[in-house]
Amino acid sequence: MHSEKPQCPFNVVGAIGLVLLLAASVGCNRTKKYPLQGEVVAKNTATNEITVKHGDIPGFMPAMAMPYRVKDPAVVQELQPGDKIAAEVVLGKDQSDYWLEDVRITDESARGQAKPPAAPHMLMPGERVPDVALINQDGRTIHLSDFAGKALLVTFIYTRCPMPNFCPRLSSQFARIHDELKRNPEDYSKTHLLTISFDPKYDTPAVLRKYGLAYLDGDQSGFSHWDFASTNPGDLARVAQAFGLQYEEEDNQISHNMSIVLIAPDGTVAKFWSTDWTWTELMESTQHAAHVTAQDRGK
Amino acid sequence: MIRGSLLLVGFYAAFILMACARKEQPSEPLSNAEIEGQWLYDTHCAECHENPQPDLHKQPPNLHGLFLRKSLPSGVPAEDEQVRETIIEGRGTMPAFDRRLREEDVKDLVKYLRKLK
Repeated sequence: MHSEKPQCPFNVVGAIGLVLLLAASVGCNRTKKYPLQGEVVAKNTATNEITVKHGDIPGFMPAMAMPYRVKDPAVVQELQPGDKIAAEVVLGKDQSDYWLEDVRITDESARGQAKPPAAPHMLMPGERVPDVALINQDGRTIHLSDFAGKALLVTFIYTRCPMPNFCPRLSSQFARIHDELKRNPEDYSKTHLLTISFDPKYDTPAVLRKYGLAYLDGDQSGFSHWDFASTNPGDLARVAQAFGLQYEEEDNQISHNMSIVLIAPDGTVAKFWSTDWTWTELMESTQHAAHVTAQDRGK
Repeated sequence: MIRGSLLLVGFYAAFILMACARKEQPSEPLSNAEIEGQWLYDTHCAECHENPQPDLHKQPPNLHGLFLRKSLPSGVPAEDEQVRETIIEGRGTMPAFDRRLREEDVKDLVKYLRKLK
């Protein structure tokens, strides 16, 4: 369970090393780097992402399999599922973005033996979303079609997610969007937020209610504009496939990507986001979708 | 030449100080359970409680000196059982670690938190 803790570098290795260290120290306040060792489970050359199953990364995240962006597309091309790699996880200056650098293959003997997960078929903007039934924080059944006529911003979380860059960030930013939309009654009445859990076994209505209230600052009336819901495993798989959500549970820890989808008032997909988004972009897109007709969007 | 070298050494010393200032470590020697707790803290807690992201809905409290106060940031008494309950069940926007940490893990974590001054 243990690995070496970070050590302060006391060895003087010459002026060149010093200059490199100085350059690194200048960057200390901007980005952070964490060593990673793991196995490539899947790759996506379209998004330059690889899914890596890795051990604990102290200070960043516990052991799990999760997707990472790699800046150099040639590296993604070269890597194959089954490859053992060593790399550095770089956490961006605002800590909301991360990627892999200095990726090295340490063992390629198992190359091709790993079974890649099936690539999800995502809906395209303009396609109609499936009308799944969900159980919300009050134990009431709701359908995606209940929000017809409104711009519906949907995301996926699990309440026990310990990684601040994932579910806590999503819910925090949805809370900001909720608060901001509330300032304009017209926007508020024409929009809705929906957070769907992909951990239905643990995230019961009572758990989701407690979770939601924490982000609504205890204001129960906020549930009229922001639902927290879960669904049965079958419908969850349908929604996940439609919205590009990937999740995998292992030892009560769920590896997942981020998926945010904006559903237009006519029940079709308006836009998707995964890693590259800001809360203002989500909010402005939602406001825009609420006031734009399908006819306008077709122009 | 010497002046230049001293300058570099000065910069190097500054770098070491910056690197070492990352986290204050307990000064007393740690027991095996506390070392285990330290590992758990670094893996599961430090990301939020040492360097919280500014855009989180609620800022996670700093846990250094947690047991030196009469009450926890939530207002409940600063006792092992209350901290254990917070870790297992979560509190506010803090996620529950229920079923993800074993009972003995939580005990080790609480022991380490007592040493975190």
